[in-house]
Amino acid sequence: MSLDKITNPMHVRHWLGDMEADYIYTLGVAGERFFKEIKENGKIMGAKCPRCNIIYVPPRMYCEKCFAKLEGWVDVGTRGVVHTFTVAKIDVDGKKLQKPEIYALIKFEGACGGLIHKIGETTPEKVKIGMKVDAVFKPSFERKASINDIKHFKPAE
Amino acid sequence: MSEVAIVGVGCVGFQPILPELSYKELMYEAAVKAYDDAGVDPRKDIDVFVTCAEDYLEGFSIFDEFVPDQLGAVLRHLFTVSGDGLLGLANAYMLIKTGHFDTVVLEAHSKASDLLTLMDVIAFALDPVLNRPLGGHPYYVAGMEMNRYLHDTCTTVEQCAQVVVKNKKNACGNPYAAYGANITLDQVLCSDMCFYPLKKLEISTPADGCVVMVLASEKVAEKLTDKPVWVKGVGWCTETPNLETRDWSKAVDTRLAAEMAYKTAKIHNPRKEIDLAEVNDLFAYKELQHMEALKLCAYGEAGKLTEEGVTARNGELPVNPSGGLLGMGYGLEASGTEKLLEVVLQLRGEAGRRQVSNVEVGLAHAWRGIPTTTGIAAVLSNVK
Ligand SMILES: [Zn+2]
Repeated sequence: MSLDKITNPMHVRHWLGDMEADYIYTLGVAGERFFKEIKENGKIMGAKCPRCNIIYVPPRMYCEKCFAKLEGWVDVGTRGVVHTFTVAKIDVDGKKLQKPEIYALIKFEGACGGLIHKIGETTPEKVKIGMKVDAVFKPSFERKASINDIKHFKPAE
Repeated sequence: MSEVAIVGVGCVGFQPILPELSYKELMYEAAVKAYDDAGVDPRKDIDVFVTCAEDYLEGFSIFDEFVPDQLGAVLRHLFTVSGDGLLGLANAYMLIKTGHFDTVVLEAHSKASDLLTLMDVIAFALDPVLNRPLGGHPYYVAGMEMNRYLHDTCTTVEQCAQVVVKNKKNACGNPYAAYGANITLDQVLCSDMCFYPLKKLEISTPADGCVVMVLASEKVAEKLTDKPVWVKGVGWCTETPNLETRDWSKAVDTRLAAEMAYKTAKIHNPRKEIDLAEVNDLFAYKELQHMEALKLCAYGEAGKLTEEGVTARNGELPVNPSGGLLGMGYGLEASGTEKLLEVVLQLRGEAGRRQVSNVEVGLAHAWRGIPTTTGIAAVLSNVK
């Protein structure tokens, strides 16, 4: 064995393999309604548990606290509060991002849960836990019933 | 019901990479050591083999099928747990508790260096519809959690950085550790900000390695060894997987896992009754958050205790004398068995330079990493 340690696995005799694995993920009953409202009406909807009186955002079919089937849709508005956030400086490959990205969990008044999304139209230093933010939607002709139909959230005026 | 003991351990690694061994050879080498340590022949003496692996981390579909030969388990009774090694321990423990099996082998490994796109695999564990389309490095989830944890507990960034200093120093005394170093608080604080407020040196680096253990029922254990390490209790729990509804400040899954393990082990005051703890520290702040969830201290108190040296190897409550994942390296699904290995060696009095004195009860804890909310805890003792 050589005294020089190998530190790059690519320098060892190997066989390179990759895994082609493509999927579709169906949205389900709750997801259909949620993304349809975002796409067509620019609304963020929650679903209500009749037993716990909890409104879940994003909506789902069942309550994770009591296991009841959720009934009733509630518009939770497009203004939320930053529950927590981070400023990502590197991308998934570990490369430094030209422009750091701000990820946050945005919670809505009276609702359980919220949305994970990016914060835009501000600088990282100005973002604080507890600050109010508004959803910025893409123009309706660009929307595809996706979480990215919301461009980002921006500090509320 | 029979008591359950660990009667043999074998470890290869942990190293940044183990290029000369294939994953099968890695498992074989660790198994040979464990069987030798326990004094058993896998072809005759073992009732069940339990391995722990996740397909995407291995680069195989149905990886379960690729494990018998290198463990001496061909045409024997084997299954794979898709989870951390400590969950494998829970399975091994239960098998022996049924009274139907006397000897069980536990295996978990990491060949992280074979996986060229680990972060893509982790990103693939995020919700495909709600979270994945946002893109980005999946560890942003850790940055968000750390930020809220610091906000709610008033834990400081210096206290988090102290975890790194302590663990990397402990690792210097551990031949199984890949990333031991003597570093200063300033070096940690000045390392690159990756996911504010989480810094580069506060993130565990993956490593290659394998841990194999032999477990036995009371009657077999006492024949095989005069240094059995008894499994006094195991517990596990999973919180909601939804990033949107989970608790962003407390490790509630670990809390319930610990309560389950403590109940079986009859631990009423963990802080007093546990002599050393090996706690998941994939990120520095996680050690603090997990200590609190494991009831080793009050919520928000772990940072202060760390600063005061209480959790140092020679402190009142040593936490991660092995060097933790920050010092040993992040062994993927073997992370929990890295912890377990250290607890066993410490309770046997075989931890060499890093031996903690007067230890009788040890705690091993695992968390399955980003983006999971699965915690597992095990209480062990050298006293039956
Ligand atoms: Zn309910």
